[in-house]
Amino acid sequence: MRSLDLADIQGGLLRAYGRLGFPKARYFFLTVRDGQKGRRFVEAIRPRVTTASRWEDPRRGELLLRTHHPKVTDAIRATGVSDYPGEVQLLKPKVAINIAFSFLGLHALDVPVRTLRGMPDEFIDGMEKRAEMLGDTPWFDRRDTIWRDASAPGKQVHIMVSMNAEMDPDTGAPTPELDVETAWLQRLCTESEGGVELLSGNGPQNLPYQEMSAVLRDDNGQKAPSNKEHFQLSDGFGDPVFSGQYGPTAEKTKQVGGGKLLPDGKTWAPLATGEFLLGYPDEAQEIPDAGMPIEFSRNGTFMAYRKLHENVASFQTYMAEQGRLYAAASGLDAADAQATVSAKMVGRWDDGVPLMAAPDVGKWRAFQAKLKAAQIAKDKKTLAAIAAEYVDFTFRPDQTGATCPMTSHLRRVNTRDTLDPHFTSPDPKSWQGSALNNRRRILRRGLPYGAVDPAHPTDDGEHGIVFLAVCSSLFRQFEFLQQQWVQYGLDFNVGSDTCPIVGNHGPEAKYVIPVDPDGAETPFVCGGVPQFVEPRGGEYFFVPSMTALRLIGMGIVDPT
Amino acid sequence: MPSFDGGHYFFTALLPINNHGIAEHGHFKSSPVHMVRDALEALPTALQTRASETIGIQSPFARSLRTHFVRLFVIDAAYYNGRDTADSILSAIEKTDLLKAQPVDRMNSPYLVFVADFDPAPDGAPEPRSWLEELWTLSPRELSSVFEYCYGFDGKADAAAFASFVMKGEIDTTMPFNDYWTVPPPLPTMPLWPLALPPLAGLLIGAGVGWGTQSIWLGAIIALALAAAGIVYDYTTVMKVGATPFPTAPNSTLRDVLKALYLQQAFARFAAAQQRSNPAQLRAAFAKFVAETQPGDVTGPTQPPGVVRSSFAPEAL
Repeated sequence: MRSLDLADIQGGLLRAYGRLGFPKARYFFLTVRDGQKGRRFVEAIRPRVTTASRWEDPRRGELLLRTHHPKVTDAIRATGVSDYPGEVQLLKPKVAINIAFSFLGLHALDVPVRTLRGMPDEFIDGMEKRAEMLGDTPWFDRRDTIWRDASAPGKQVHIMVSMNAEMDPDTGAPTPELDVETAWLQRLCTESEGGVELLSGNGPQNLPYQEMSAVLRDDNGQKAPSNKEHFQLSDGFGDPVFSGQYGPTAEKTKQVGGGKLLPDGKTWAPLATGEFLLGYPDEAQEIPDAGMPIEFSRNGTFMAYRKLHENVASFQTYMAEQGRLYAAASGLDAADAQATVSAKMVGRWDDGVPLMAAPDVGKWRAFQAKLKAAQIAKDKKTLAAIAAEYVDFTFRPDQTGATCPMTSHLRRVNTRDTLDPHFTSPDPKSWQGSALNNRRRILRRGLPYGAVDPAHPTDDGEHGIVFLAVCSSLFRQFEFLQQQWVQYGLDFNVGSDTCPIVGNHGPEAKYVIPVDPDGAETPFVCGGVPQFVEPRGGEYFFVPSMTALRLIGMGIVDPT
Repeated sequence: MPSFDGGHYFFTALLPINNHGIAEHGHFKSSPVHMVRDALEALPTALQTRASETIGIQSPFARSLRTHFVRLFVIDAAYYNGRDTADSILSAIEKTDLLKAQPVDRMNSPYLVFVADFDPAPDGAPEPRSWLEELWTLSPRELSSVFEYCYGFDGKADAAAFASFVMKGEIDTTMPFNDYWTVPPPLPTMPLWPLALPPLAGLLIGAGVGWGTQSIWLGAIIALALAAAGIVYDYTTVMKVGATPFPTAPNSTLRDVLKALYLQQAFARFAAAQQRSNPAQLRAAFAKFVAETQPGDVTGPTQPPGVVRSSFAPEAL
C-alpha cells in the first residue's frame, strides 16, 4: 500500500506514547458553550497538535538494554532498520498534545447534521448509554463526578485534550513543560470568554484534569517508567500490527505475533489498515462507517476512554490465598504457586513472559535466567530472539488450554487462532488462522493513574488504569470484545464466566485452571473471585485527522 | 482535439502531489496534501452569489478576461467500494476463498485536479500554453500556494515554466460542456446514400469480375473484400466528421457574455424607467441608451468578470 500520510494522522495512534518515552500524562475534558468560540479554541490548539510524523529522540537509551525486557522494536532498530515509517523531520517534543471529540462535542461545534448522522450508533450514543452492555452499571454511582454530571446541561464532555509528557528521571515528576502547557490550555479557555470551559471533577478531589503516570521503578537511584500496572503485572505486549504502521522491513518482524495469522497456521501478515484508521479497507474489505465527506473521516479513528479503578488489596490478598490453596494441591511452594495462579489468570507471568513460552514455573525461571545472562553479556542477538518470544506464539499447540487457559485474560482479548472453526482439525487445509479474531482487535493506549504502596496495598484510594481502546469501529471491536469476550464466556465454553482480571465478578464468580484431560492432574477451581477492576467513567471519542480538525475548526465541513 | 470544442478550450489536468513528510506553512506543520487543501479553501471564490459578493475579496481567476470557469480539487485515493459482488452459489462452486483479500486499486499519490473552460487566444497563439502563461502572469502568488507541492513544480518558475509544468499533467477532456448555444447548433449531417455507395460499388465490381471470369469464387472474394474496404472507408469518414469540433456559438467569448449580462441589466432598467414615455421620449431615451451602453462594443462599458451583477450609477438611465 501507499505509505500512510503520517503528518495528517494524530500522534499516539500508530505508537503508544507510553512506549515512546512519555510516561506522564494529563487529560483534560472540556465543554463547548458557544459553537463559534469553540471553533476558535480548536483553531488555537490545531497548530500545536502532535502528529504521527517521525521524529528523532536525542534522549533514547541503548537499544535492547534500555528496558527491563527486550523489545521487538529495539531488535529491529538494532539491525539498522527503522521501526517507524517515514523520514525524520522533527525533534521529539517534550509534551505531545492531542485532541478528540465526543459526538455531542462535534454537534456543539456545528459540524453539519449530514456528517453527524453518518457516524456510528455507538459513538452517537456515547459510553454512558452503552453501560448496560459494557457491564458498567453496577459502578455507576462510583464514577468520577465529571462522568456522573456529564448528562447535566452545561456539563457535557465535548472535547478531550491530552498531554503526554516526558519525565524528569531524578524526581519522577513530569517535565516542567507540562505545567506550562497546562497553563496555556487554561488561558485558552479563559480567552474563549465562556465559549469553552475546562471541566473539573476528575478523581475524588475533583481535579480539572486526569493525571496519569507509568508505575515507576528505581533504576540506580533514578526513576524509570516500568510496564507494570498497579497489580504489578507487566502489560502492553500484544498490540495489533497493521499495514503501514511500521516501515516495510520492520513490518515483516513486527507482524509476527502482532498481525493476523494466515490459514497455514504459521505465516503472519499485518492487519488491514481500515481496522484502526478510517477511510481504508478493513479486514472484510469494507470502508468503516464514519461521517462524510471522506476527508472528514480518513486518517481519523475512534477511541474509548475508560478510567478503570484497580482493587489492589483484593487482588493481592486473593492471589496469596489462592496461591496457598494451589500450593497444597500442586506441591509447589507458596510463592511459586501464587505466581502460577496469577499467570494462569493473566496468560503471562507477572514479568510479561507468556505461558505459551514458559508453561510452568521451572521454564519461567529458565527464561528469566536466559534473559538475565543475555543482558549481562549484552548479547543483542539473543536479546532480539527473546524479545520475539513475548509475542510470537499461537494457541494450536495448546488445544485444551492446559498451558494457557482459554479463559485467561490474554487468550480472551486476543484469541489468535483459538476460535478457528477447525481449531482441532488435524487437516491443515481446513485451518483458517486468526480469521475470527482479526476484526476484534484494538490498539491499547493509556497509562496507569495514581500510586499504590506495594507494601501496603489498598482497595480504596485513587489508582488504576486509564484505558484507551483505539479502533475504527467501537461497536465491532471494542464493544464486542468487552461484551462477548470479557463479560461472557460462551465462545470459550465456560458459560457465563467472565474475564478473571477485568470482568465483572458476581457473588459466585469462579475461575477454572484446566489441566490436560488425559493427564493425572485435576483442574483447580478458584472460587469467590472478588471484583478486581471497577469502571470510574469514560466516553467515546472521535480522533480526527489534521485535515478533519481544520474542517471542524474552520467550520467548513461540507458533506455534500 | 476533443479538449477544444464549441469555440472554447476545455482544459483538464491531473497533477500528482508529492505527499511525503511534513510541509511547513506559517506556523503550521502538516502533510503537503493538507496544505494544498488549506490553500484551496483559503482561495476566494468569485463574487457571484449574494452570499459571497459582500466578502469583497475577488477570485484570482477573475483577473483574466478569457476564463469562464476554473475548478480545483484534490483526489486523495481511488474510492473503494468493497469486494466485487458475487453470486454465492457460483462462489461456492468456484471455491472462492472469502478470507483472501481481493486487490484494491490505488493511486501512488494524491492528485490535484485542475479543470477550466477558457477562450482561446484571439491571436491564434497555441493553447493551452498561452492561457496558462496569462494565468501565471496574473496570479503567480496564488497559483504557487496551490501548486507548490505538486511534483515538478518549480517555485521560481516563470510563466513559460508554469505552463510546461501544468501541461505535463494534461489529459483529454472527453465530455466538454457547451452551454452557450441558445438555438440548435448547425451540426454537420451525413446523408446515408453516399455512405452506402462504397460498399455497394465493391459488391458490384466483385459481381462484374465474377461474371467476366465465370468464377463465382473469385467474384465473391473480390466482392466481399471491396465491400469490407468500403465499410472501413465509411467508418473512417464518420469518425473524422464526428471528431470535428462543435461549432463555435455566436458571441460566446467571455467578453461577449459579460457584455450581454451588462446589456440585459441595463435594458431592464431602461424598460422600467421608460414605461410611460411617449414615442418621442422613448426614441430619444433609446438613442441615449445606445450611446451610453455601446451594444456593439464588447470592450466597454460592460460587466467586470467574477461578479453577480453590473454596477450602475444611481442616476444613470
